[in-house]
Amino acid sequence: MTTPPVDDPDVLVDVRGVKVHFPIKAGVIFDRVIGHVYAVDGVDLQIRRGETYGLVGESGCGKSTLGRAILNLEPPTEGHVVFDGTDIASLKGEELRRKRQDIQMVFQDPLSSLDPRQSVESLLVEGMKAHGLAKDAKEARPRLRELLTAVGLPVQALSKYPHEFSGGQRQRIGIARALSVNPKLIVADEPVSALDVSVQAQVINLLEDLQEQYGLTYLVVAHDLAVVRHISDRIGVMYLGAIAEEAAAVDLYARPLHPYTRALLSAVPIPDPDVEDSREQILLTGDLPSPSNPPTGCRFHTRCPWRQDTRCDDERPQLRVVAIDGVPEGHRVACHWAEQIDSGELRPHEVTPVAVGSDELPPAAVEPELMGPASVTEAL
Amino acid sequence: MMSDAPLLSVEDLTVTFGRRGQEPFRAVDGVSFQVRPGQTVGLVGESGCGKSVTSLAIMGLLPQRGNTVSGRVDFEGTNLLELSTDDMRDRRGRDIAMVFQDPLSSLNPVVPVGVQVTEVLERHRGMTRKAAMPVAADLLRRVGIPDPDRRIKDYPHQMSGGMRQRALIAIALACAPRLLIADEPTTALDVTIQAQILALLKELVEDTGTALIMITHDLGVVAGLCDEVNVLYGGRIVERGARHPLFRDPRHPYTNGLLGSIPRLDAVGERLTPIPGSVADNLPWDHACAFAPRCSQPIERCTQVTPVLEESFGRALRCHNPVEVPR
Ligand SMILES: Nc1ncnc2c1ncn2[C@@H]1O[C@H](COP(=O)(O)OP(=O)(O)OP(=O)(O)O)[C@@H](O)[C@H]1O
Ligand SMILES: Nc1ncnc2c1ncn2[C@@H]1O[C@H](COP(=O)(O)OP(=O)(O)OP(=O)(O)O)[C@@H](O)[C@H]1O
Ligand code: SF4
Ligand SMILES: [Mg+2]
Ligand SMILES: [Mg+2]
Repeated sequence: MTTPPVDDPDVLVDVRGVKVHFPIKAGVIFDRVIGHVYAVDGVDLQIRRGETYGLVGESGCGKSTLGRAILNLEPPTEGHVVFDGTDIASLKGEELRRKRQDIQMVFQDPLSSLDPRQSVESLLVEGMKAHGLAKDAKEARPRLRELLTAVGLPVQALSKYPHEFSGGQRQRIGIARALSVNPKLIVADEPVSALDVSVQAQVINLLEDLQEQYGLTYLVVAHDLAVVRHISDRIGVMYLGAIAEEAAAVDLYARPLHPYTRALLSAVPIPDPDVEDSREQILLTGDLPSPSNPPTGCRFHTRCPWRQDTRCDDERPQLRVVAIDGVPEGHRVACHWAEQIDSGELRPHEVTPVAVGSDELPPAAVEPELMGPASVTEAL
Repeated sequence: MMSDAPLLSVEDLTVTFGRRGQEPFRAVDGVSFQVRPGQTVGLVGESGCGKSVTSLAIMGLLPQRGNTVSGRVDFEGTNLLELSTDDMRDRRGRDIAMVFQDPLSSLNPVVPVGVQVTEVLERHRGMTRKAAMPVAADLLRRVGIPDPDRRIKDYPHQMSGGMRQRALIAIALACAPRLLIADEPTTALDVTIQAQILALLKELVEDTGTALIMITHDLGVVAGLCDEVNVLYGGRIVERGARHPLFRDPRHPYTNGLLGSIPRLDAVGERLTPIPGSVADNLPWDHACAFAPRCSQPIERCTQVTPVLEESFGRALRCHNPVEVPR
């Protein structure tokens, strides 16, 4: 089903039919694979040069895993990631190292991704040395000053240690570090969700300024729809390992077509009592199904107020362009009934909630993996 | 359902933590507010501003050692701070109940959820286990747990986060408390599940006449839920008002700044106006406004004189130079 890579020089990242399945193992002596977590299960998307692509969705939908697959930190079980014209999986040695310099990551929790024993200067110089951009701290000095100014920290910060900074300042250090090797793409996984509301805005504005200044391309992964909509040009809404809807940020909000997007948008509280009083919510019943046992057919059918017998239960909808007046080609939806739902021909109905037990993996099995290195450089 | 006599009246509540080798730290600093029967009151503010400590002090749940509490917490005329440990325990669950952010750590992991509900009914309503079972199942159904007769035997770890939070709400409601304190009850949940829980809380408040103190850092949650809102900064209330006027016309530069720094889902790409700095820049309240170093419009007085909380026209405000034209 995988289509060949697009030959558009405007596309920086081309994700083709990517799947990432994690084996679930059991057994005392011999590990037996008893199932899989279908964390990412067939994703196609393109990120264009200079744009901000936002990936949004609820906990466990596979956003972070997809982000990591794009960095090849999580080699895809199936499919390809083509970065700047080259299939990342095909690269080795020096070539891979150089390509990886182009993609840097910014993490949710700045503290856990920064080595507490290293001063800011040594944290920043490390990556530059690894990529041959500087021989030592002395040579790096002018560049370090520039970086700190760019992220709004005083030059004195260089001799300090991560714990001496506030959360927002640490996130600035994390961003400076990603910038230090002149990347083309920055993958930011929940870059502001650990920060206080008043500080979130500082970091969001900083990311916007840096994009303009350095011509960066961003992939922003976050669960906060308002944040994602604010900074993204285009948005992909994920549900259980797949993209349910993709559109320009403006179009997605103005005319959500997928039932899940509609529910998601209607669930976000807005800090305005007048809006809250008059809003119509689409309340979903039941829980998110487990990605180790995803529903058949449309993954959303167990909670969908528009589900239709029996196509929704049996046939998995593909992400497709819809035939609706005024909806651009770039607005794609994975729902069989998008046209009929949009026109009002199909009306929402009651949904009997299905309880989903928690089948969380033991935290120890997941967490060290999820922490990840502070930059791609470290992964090598 | 609302009447004018307060159900809960918190007066000059101060909680000081002693830190070894350090200055004592006032986490809650002269906080006063009231809750009327059936009313939903919000406490909002950023991490560390004293929201949880305030609620724990009201509930008598602060650690035994290492802190001093002063002021009054009058619940229907009784000062809860003066009650014995036993009397307070009796009040908790019967008159006042609490729902926490992390349901897993506040549920007993080795006791089935149903039993945790029946225990409350047995203890506070003198029911037998047998009589309490169907009541418990009913409560679980009421909070939206599907198939409650079967689920009643589940242990907390067998439930999803949203279900656990529902179970916790069921336990809190078991004795029909007159006041429910919810401390970030949806912060750990996904947004579609949050919407379900908030709708549930709203419905319960309307149906049972329970008063609710909603603690959150999310102004969006407050905007849809609370009759009256208290904005906390650095352990003190800096502004209080009814929901509509407060959001329409924020007078405190902090409230105004918060509203300007949140990206809104329904607003197109306007640039955010952040509040500069962080709480690390705060001044001590003793001789200044703690917020002054981050304020958009400080005057000289702000770094010299402590502003007091002044009430007028249903709005309380602690500021030397309030905002005239919001954002
Ligand atoms: N290394 C791993 N081994 C096994 N399962 C994993 C691993 N990493 C992630 N998972 C599982 O894959 C699914 C998707 O995880 P992922 O971290 O991508 O979700 P997410 O959308 O980023 O969620 P969140 O908003 O909670 O960060 C989850 O069920 C998760 O438990
Ligand atoms: N047991 C304790 N000992 C010492 N200091 C404490 C204790 N509990 C809380 N504090 C301090 O009191 C202040 C207020 O804490 P509180 O938990 O009330 O904040 P909060 O407003 O609930 O924040 P959050 O949004 O992060 O939950 C913080 O600075 C905190 O570090
Ligand atoms: S395909 Fe069916 S179940 Fe899936 S979102 Fe569309 S209507 Fe709902
Ligand atoms: Mg994630
Ligand atoms: Mg708290």
